[in-house]
Amino acid sequence: MARVGVVALSLVVVLLGAGLPRPAAAKTQVFLSKLPKSLVVSVSPKHGDVLHAGDDKLTVTWSPNATAGSDAAFKSVKVKLCYAPASRTDRGWRKANDDLHKDKACQFKVTVQPYAAGAGGNGTFDYVVARDIPTASYFVRAYAVDESGTEVAYGQSSPDAAFDVAGITGIHTSLKVAAGVFSTFSIAALAFFFVVEKRKKDK
Amino acid sequence: MEAKPAAMEVEGVEAARGKPRFRMPVDSDLKATEFWLFSFARPHMASFHMAWFSFFCCFVSTFAAPPLLPLIRDTLGLTATDIGNAGIASVSGAVFARLAMGTACDLVGPRLASASLILLTTPAVYCSSIIQSPSAYLLVRFFTGISLASFVSAQFWMSSMFSAPKVGLANGVAGGWGNLGGGAVQLLMPLVYEAIHKIGSTPFTAWRIAFFIPGLMQTFSAIAVLAFGQDMPGGNYRSLHKSGDMHKDSFGNVLRHALTNYRGWILALTYGYCFGVELTIDNVVHQYFYDRFDVNLQTAGLIAASFGMANIISRPGGGLLSDWLSSRYGMRGRLWGLWTVQTIGGVLCVVLGIVDFSFAASVAVMVLFSFFVQAACGLTFGIVPFVSRRSLGLISGMTGGGGNVGAVLTQYIFFHGTKYKTETGIKYMGLMIIACTLPIVLIYFPQWGGMFVGPRKGATAEEYYSREWSEHEREKGFNAASVRFAENSVREGGRSGSAGQSRHTTPVDESPPARGGV
Repeated sequence: MARVGVVALSLVVVLLGAGLPRPAAAKTQVFLSKLPKSLVVSVSPKHGDVLHAGDDKLTVTWSPNATAGSDAAFKSVKVKLCYAPASRTDRGWRKANDDLHKDKACQFKVTVQPYAAGAGGNGTFDYVVARDIPTASYFVRAYAVDESGTEVAYGQSSPDAAFDVAGITGIHTSLKVAAGVFSTFSIAALAFFFVVEKRKKDK
Repeated sequence: MEAKPAAMEVEGVEAARGKPRFRMPVDSDLKATEFWLFSFARPHMASFHMAWFSFFCCFVSTFAAPPLLPLIRDTLGLTATDIGNAGIASVSGAVFARLAMGTACDLVGPRLASASLILLTTPAVYCSSIIQSPSAYLLVRFFTGISLASFVSAQFWMSSMFSAPKVGLANGVAGGWGNLGGGAVQLLMPLVYEAIHKIGSTPFTAWRIAFFIPGLMQTFSAIAVLAFGQDMPGGNYRSLHKSGDMHKDSFGNVLRHALTNYRGWILALTYGYCFGVELTIDNVVHQYFYDRFDVNLQTAGLIAASFGMANIISRPGGGLLSDWLSSRYGMRGRLWGLWTVQTIGGVLCVVLGIVDFSFAASVAVMVLFSFFVQAACGLTFGIVPFVSRRSLGLISGMTGGGGNVGAVLTQYIFFHGTKYKTETGIKYMGLMIIACTLPIVLIYFPQWGGMFVGPRKGATAEEYYSREWSEHEREKGFNAASVRFAENSVREGGRSGSAGQSRHTTPVDESPPARGGV
């Protein structure tokens, strides 16, 4: 039995090691603190506004910062929805990191648009808040991306003027009914057996 | 000798009812002396299967939330503190529930005790699907976790059905395959979620629906116990009490004899650092791999599952090892085995906390660690049945409860909020395991000895167990079961202790030899 155990154990370890998808290898590192803040980003909801996931819409507008340098390298604009600091405290899985590949604060993609150099670099996008956006406070960040897909500049709406999203709960009435029915059934089954036992005992 | 009349009384009554023929060989207590894993022979093996499966379902329910946390935490807006608190709540309910279960088993029998507990906690599982706030999350995890007290009834049931040479193995397999639920669910829930999500449900609804699977499993396993189970080979407590075959004990006496036995307290502490650690890891490992190594929900589930899945063989292996050590070295072998295996588990835990730089190393160490920590649980329950006969249920309950206390403490100190990084918490937990395993050296049985001290000359098992009964009670024959147990435990004296006696207990029933047991 011991030998079988050792063989089984080794097999498990090898299979696990071989079969598991490896965590992704890092690409070129980009640090937020090194990126120039070349874009000015604004969003339609004001501080404290509540948007409902799946229903409400927000409009994000971006334009090049007047004092920024050349925007020749900008090929597209990647806009992301980011958790505001208040929604990140005590939540390690949303931690902001200067290394953009390790950053977990900006998890939701809003849109990727080509950079309209001809229109003076201005752009706008109407975004219907997706159904899977959780309840939290957010701000919007836009990255200017070059042809290789690497971020070269960014801009963001003020994290201190964050707006809120009310996520869907996912609860349907049928769930509540089912929970009630099955709970009652369990207790009733117990009561049934107790009654049967008592009858047998009294006989 | 008082044992004979009591045993014959049982047989006499049985004859009047039509003597039950057991397919398995049994001792004078009607407990099976063999363990046939793939059989459903009534009542012994049937009880085994019902016991481990219903306990498995409780584990599945209790740890159904952790693998879905990446979804739940966003739906409810949970913080790390909320999650830590709920993790603590999930294992704290069972601390007192296990004590209560031990007593309940002593008084009304494992069948009613376990089924009642399981059916009464199932509503919490169903309600997990409709929670909307961090406090609701904490409450459902608390009430669901109370079902883990069914561990005590499972162990008690096995100790009532299986004789000394096989009790370690029976307890180990029942406990291990039950604990398996904590591992299987880490794999099960992400898969169930994925299936529901694919059918078309949104993520925030899919995880809610997923909770019905553990709920239904739990409900139906308990109904099976009520419909098909029985407390003892001879029948259910109610009928045995009525016919006078079994003395109906009082809560006060059972409590007194459990609390005053120091061995129960020591085992409660050490169990907190094998089983308690197992519960902690069940709560923590999925998120650890998901967040630290950036793997997806299903992969983290697979890894987390492999920890709990080791229970298929690790805990039974511990029980088997305990029984084997006992056959060569008696109770002293069981004690040494427990201390050694649990300490190695502690060392591996420290290593796990240190190798967080490597994904492959972490997985490998975790698998090894799981084997040792779970085997230690099996070894613990190779010793528990011998601590007390009168208060077996409550001692089992204390030890089991101690396991949960260990989980509560460990999670509170190391895995709560953001004070320690998870890998640091794991390292310190390993050190605590090593320290809290040392008290095993203090356990001493006068008739069998302890780790460093041999048995006292002239001390007998019968004396040790009869000590729990007063002179008056002994005269009335209330301690009949204890005397039978003492006789059947002769082998715990090791080779020298049982010299001159048959290695196997005397079968009362001339049943055909085992066709293939474990």
